[in-house]
Amino acid sequence: MKFVDLHRDPWHALGGEDGPPVSINPDPYLLLDLSQWHAARAAWPLDVPVGLKLANDQDVEDVAADLPRFALVALQFPKWTDGRAYSQARLLRSRWRFAGEVRATGEVLVDMLPLLARTGFDAVQLRADQSRDAAERALGFFRGHYQGDVRDNRPLFAQPAGTAERLAREQDFVHHGASI
Amino acid sequence: MYQYTAFDRQFVHQRAAQFRDQLERHLAGRLPDDEFRALRLQNGWYVQRHAPMLRIAVPYGELAARQLRALGRIAREYDRGYGHFTTRQNLQFNWIPLNRGADVMDALAAVDMHGIQTSGNCIRNITSDALAGIAPDEVVDPRPYCELLRQWSTLHPEFAFLPRKFKIAVTGAREDRAAIGWHDIGLHLKKNEAGEIGFKVLVGGGMGRTPVIGTVVREFLPWQQILVFIEAIVRVYNRYGRRDNMYKARIKILVKAEGQKFVDAVAAEFAHILNDDVDGAAHLIPQAEFERVNASFALPEGVGEAGAPASAPTETAPAFRRWLERNVHAHRLPGYRAVTLSLKRAGQPPGDVSADQMDAAAELAERYSHGELRVTHDQNLLLPWVRESDLAALWKAARAATFATPNIGLLTDMIACPGGDFCGLANARSIPVAAEITERYTDLDELWDIGDIDLHISGCINSCGHHHSGHIGILGVDKDGKEWYQVSLGGSDGSTLSGASVPGKVIGPSFAADEVADAVEAVIGTYKAQRAANERFIDTVRRIGLEPFKGPANAARRSTAHAA
Repeated sequence: MKFVDLHRDPWHALGGEDGPPVSINPDPYLLLDLSQWHAARAAWPLDVPVGLKLANDQDVEDVAADLPRFALVALQFPKWTDGRAYSQARLLRSRWRFAGEVRATGEVLVDMLPLLARTGFDAVQLRADQSRDAAERALGFFRGHYQGDVRDNRPLFAQPAGTAERLAREQDFVHHGASI
Repeated sequence: MYQYTAFDRQFVHQRAAQFRDQLERHLAGRLPDDEFRALRLQNGWYVQRHAPMLRIAVPYGELAARQLRALGRIAREYDRGYGHFTTRQNLQFNWIPLNRGADVMDALAAVDMHGIQTSGNCIRNITSDALAGIAPDEVVDPRPYCELLRQWSTLHPEFAFLPRKFKIAVTGAREDRAAIGWHDIGLHLKKNEAGEIGFKVLVGGGMGRTPVIGTVVREFLPWQQILVFIEAIVRVYNRYGRRDNMYKARIKILVKAEGQKFVDAVAAEFAHILNDDVDGAAHLIPQAEFERVNASFALPEGVGEAGAPASAPTETAPAFRRWLERNVHAHRLPGYRAVTLSLKRAGQPPGDVSADQMDAAAELAERYSHGELRVTHDQNLLLPWVRESDLAALWKAARAATFATPNIGLLTDMIACPGGDFCGLANARSIPVAAEITERYTDLDELWDIGDIDLHISGCINSCGHHHSGHIGILGVDKDGKEWYQVSLGGSDGSTLSGASVPGKVIGPSFAADEVADAVEAVIGTYKAQRAANERFIDTVRRIGLEPFKGPANAARRSTAHAA
């Protein structure tokens, strides 16, 4: 999981006035919303990296054909308890094979990390007050899960024989380690 | 019953460790109330009127005696010595201080228990028929399917923050004892003409402010596909369910609004998963996995498919005969019976059990039922493996332990939520209403004369007491800071006795708290006066309609007389 440092992050939104822009210069690492992308699409050079900011009520299907052109798709959590972007990420990866960065933005809290990692996000822009240490710890509580996920859609029952037993043993080992 | 594997066991311990981390951050001021809320809810922790309430999952109602003893220990050590069984087959504690919460989760994990997804806007604990695996009218034992669904839905990463809560109920018998029409997803296991097993799938049932009965979206879905099909349903709901208004956020509203478009969207999503997604068929359940899970549900050691020698009890005490008739149920194995331990008795709220009673019930289960119990949808306990020859001894022991009130299915076997005495959501109290009615009907002859009847009491529109599905439903409402009660008649949970699932109809303006028991008595009186020979309450209501009940009920009004 990549933790986005906004000071070093090359991605930036289009500056200037609100509303649909008259013309968009193909600046590298521009992060466009859907209407901006539609305006810029025809003239955008294939070798200039561009990102898409998708609202959580916009359908992934509607941009499916353009996905190969994006280096990044930024999904939104306007409220952290609004789980629509988990489904969007899952569809981007599993259905549309999107291979670029899928970034979580908005109200991104450390306790969302296990869900984000499992639904296809590979980058998070944590809310400013969140602790990176806590976020990394949040990723480490479970050795395995029952259902498959975007990293490996095979559920526990479809994993090679002995996987469940091995995972249970590993956790034992971790517990022993912690108590020493 | 299901036997935890080493993986399952580690999983609940890991969950307890995760909760401890979250709780510690919260108590240290690093995780504010607002953000901790959704996390604690998904572990069963509500903040209630007096203290946090902890809801513990009893998956599809199956409980081991050793687990019940552990719950008794928790009740003594952390709570004020009692717990409450719910209509969703869970157990709630009411007085555990939050700062001891992590220790309680560890204690639960030690006996393969947890509070995972017993609350929050996620897929909740799956409920089923309390007679699963033992009912004579069963076509397919639903428990292995429930367990497969439990595992699949547990910490599903995509579906932890749905628009609203999501409840699944499964039955495999001819008679629906799990009220599947009232659930977000209702599953009815059946066999087709070729003898293959599949599910009838209902979607979009629910109670609350807008009672709706589920719509059939598939008449027969091969069982192997159930996880994928539910994934399709829940994904469509997660994407398109309303989030702007909490009261319109359940899937029932989406299903109602979209109709056939919803059904088509689910079918399309289902096909996409299988045809287009990376490893999309991975959640089709292989026979070997079914067999692995199903092995847990083999008959308990010492119980054979041949059953036990028939042994009709010789005890002739009239009280025993009554108990036999009401609390003892037929079993698919000859020589065996299922026995309900009634948690409906004067002096205790419906579904409540003290720590001592938990121990007593655990002991009865160990002595007479191979250490297994069930929590029923009607808030009782049930012993699934009782030998006919033990019935008389069990009756005596159950009587000594306060569990032998022969009232199962009768008026005092009512469903009631904890209501305003405990619940932070409630508009009105349920327990005093339940108590008043219980006290009025202590005469067994009278109760028996009234016969089969479902009385359901909810303290608010969230409908935890299932008032919509009661033959008599009582709903607590708040007006001007006072408690009022709406009375409805003719609801059904979908059982054979009650008929097709349907919400009851309100009989008039709300009653004041001190009128509601009189109103119920007037309704019962009207039934007794109007019934045909051997006609049950619900049938009389259906035959004569609501009108004849209104006058007598209104006559019970005092403070609300002007309103009626």
